[in-house]
Amino acid sequence: MPNEYQLMKDGALCQDEWIYADEEVGLSDAPSIISLSRLKAEADVLRARNAKLGVQLLADGNGKTKLGEDVQELEPYLDMLSLVSIAFPTYRNGRGFSAARVLREQFNFDGELRASGEVLHDQWAMMRRCGITAFELAPSVSLETFSDAMGELTDAYQPAADDQRGALWQRHK
Amino acid sequence: MYRYDEFDHQLVGERVKQFRGQVERRVSGELTEDAFKPLRLMNGVYLQLHAYMLRVAIPYGTLSSKQMRMQAHIARKYDRGYGHFTTRQNIQFNWPALDKIPDLLEELATVEMHAIQTSGNCIRNVTSDQYAAAIDGEIEDPRIISEIIRQWSTFHPEFTYLPRKFKIAVTGHDNDRAAIKLHDIGIVIKQNELGDVGYEIHVGGGQGRTPFIAKKMADFVPKAQLLAYLEAVMRVYNMLGRRDNSYKARIKIMVHETGEVEMRRLIEAEFAKIDASQMLAVPQAEIDRISAYFASPEFENLPATSATLDAAQAQDADFARWVRANVVAHKQHGYGIVNISLKPIGGVPGDATDVQMEAVADLAERYSFDEIRVTHEQNLVLPHIRLDVLKTVYDALNAHELATANLGLISDTIACPGLDYCNLANARSIPLAQEISERFADLDQQYDIGELKIKISGCINACGHHHVGHIGILGVDKKGTEFYQISLGGSADENASIGTITGRAFTEETIVDAIETVVTTYTDMRQTDERFIDTYRRVGLDPFKERLYAE
Repeated sequence: MPNEYQLMKDGALCQDEWIYADEEVGLSDAPSIISLSRLKAEADVLRARNAKLGVQLLADGNGKTKLGEDVQELEPYLDMLSLVSIAFPTYRNGRGFSAARVLREQFNFDGELRASGEVLHDQWAMMRRCGITAFELAPSVSLETFSDAMGELTDAYQPAADDQRGALWQRHK
Repeated sequence: MYRYDEFDHQLVGERVKQFRGQVERRVSGELTEDAFKPLRLMNGVYLQLHAYMLRVAIPYGTLSSKQMRMQAHIARKYDRGYGHFTTRQNIQFNWPALDKIPDLLEELATVEMHAIQTSGNCIRNVTSDQYAAAIDGEIEDPRIISEIIRQWSTFHPEFTYLPRKFKIAVTGHDNDRAAIKLHDIGIVIKQNELGDVGYEIHVGGGQGRTPFIAKKMADFVPKAQLLAYLEAVMRVYNMLGRRDNSYKARIKIMVHETGEVEMRRLIEAEFAKIDASQMLAVPQAEIDRISAYFASPEFENLPATSATLDAAQAQDADFARWVRANVVAHKQHGYGIVNISLKPIGGVPGDATDVQMEAVADLAERYSFDEIRVTHEQNLVLPHIRLDVLKTVYDALNAHELATANLGLISDTIACPGLDYCNLANARSIPLAQEISERFADLDQQYDIGELKIKISGCINACGHHHVGHIGILGVDKKGTEFYQISLGGSADENASIGTITGRAFTEETIVDAIETVVTTYTDMRQTDERFIDTYRRVGLDPFKERLYAE
């Protein structure tokens, strides 16, 4: 379960309709975020459930693997998922940046992509460029701080998962 | 040389503003040193033993006179009157005050320079051949693709929090002066049978505590696909590179543990997916725009030899010696490539004062089409000097103690900052480099010894490249005493190799004698015109070991 957070989604603070489900308990009808292992184990049952489903992708393996969970494993379940929460166990671990781009650009995932865990001020804008639309932020972060951080760099040199083309391309539209 | 357009100016300007905000938050106490660290590291600011250090990027080692004068100005205004040129073709300032760094960066931006990504676990400043566009036999000026890589990798949203730092080097020549096989990615510009230009890609080289020579991953990546290929390598590394142990986090360890064949398969699978979108194929118009900045200077049509030069050499033996050691043949008749040694006998390798930097800037402006290069061996280059004016240039350099005639010789050492500055070091490197150059101060003796590359690191992180020194020296700490380990047979060129440790380490008092023993062992055994590295490769380690450890 993540620590206490406020949800910044599409540039605004909002009420989080999602809950991180208790692994040991059956799912309610509330939009629920579950683990990848549960998703794989209960896929058939979950497919019949009539409520929104999300999954959290762990970046540090949570002791299970050296590397963390592989975004490729989500591919068979994408039609069931409305949300992927990508865990950033520390700001130093940027593995989730690649997971986000693969989901958006290779799997064409159009649900909510959110960043959970330790996410720095200076990473928000880069995360957005990789396709992340929602952020679980520390309660101390103000909307103003967030908006300022998002606007610090106007343009980009390279394309990613957002609509910026990158200078190398933009100069010759 | 590449010039910023509005786009480049805006990004660098915004970055300065962003960093000013971060420094203000640190100075006011809003950010703790711990929280500030990742932010300053992304902008080249390190906390060293005594003070903050700032590393300024010199993309692919090319500078204009104006940019060099700015380095002199910064050294004077923000530092103690000198700067240090590094093995990554950058410049470091050792004493700036943190609260003044934003002002410094603002001044730097006025000459189209910055400190972006000169530290941190991101794609660092791209390095290249210091003789680019001046040496004969080059397929293409490597700075064109280096500039494209610089732009693509700057603030890359996906690859700024990698498992570890990431270094890319490019060469356009068969003689590798950029040590590309010791980089995370090394790129060799190639031409195929059809005459098309593309890239041979090497992945997983590096030094540090576990040195590896890079493995060749692709023979020929066509021009339009290079960025897609690079993005594939980066993504595979970012997804699968180890993060559990920072000493095992470089891509070289991943290549080693995964195996070359599987690594190639992973990269090619990802490359196929990325390339399919054509998103990263740079438009030809943009390649042309960037290439135009690197158009050849307008050389004069001159004879291959210069009577003025011959006469000056006949008159002045010191000058003749300097020409022989430091001037390299230029592709254009009547010109030479001038190497400026930053290794004066007894000096600090790579250091230059504000006055010296200005002298070099003046010479470049007057005689070298306004261009200066920084080499990974911590020297400077004036790439295009007319043979007729070599004596004038030499005299001006000599007046500023910049005419040491020791390029590639035993006193042209690479040394890391060592325990004099660095909080990682076990031992001092600079005083040892000074002692060695004093021991072999006699230039005639140095010529007799011939090409010999000594590289000194003050700790296992290998910033002084000791693994690839013909003679490598590594500072180790044993119970609070500084010891030095010797390795032999390393090389950073197209025949790259990692040196072999000779045996037990030497003390501060005996290390210089030991180096002399290695040198005499070589001179006793060499055949006619055989370089140290060739003798070593012929006879192996044993004869050196016997002499070094004889009772």
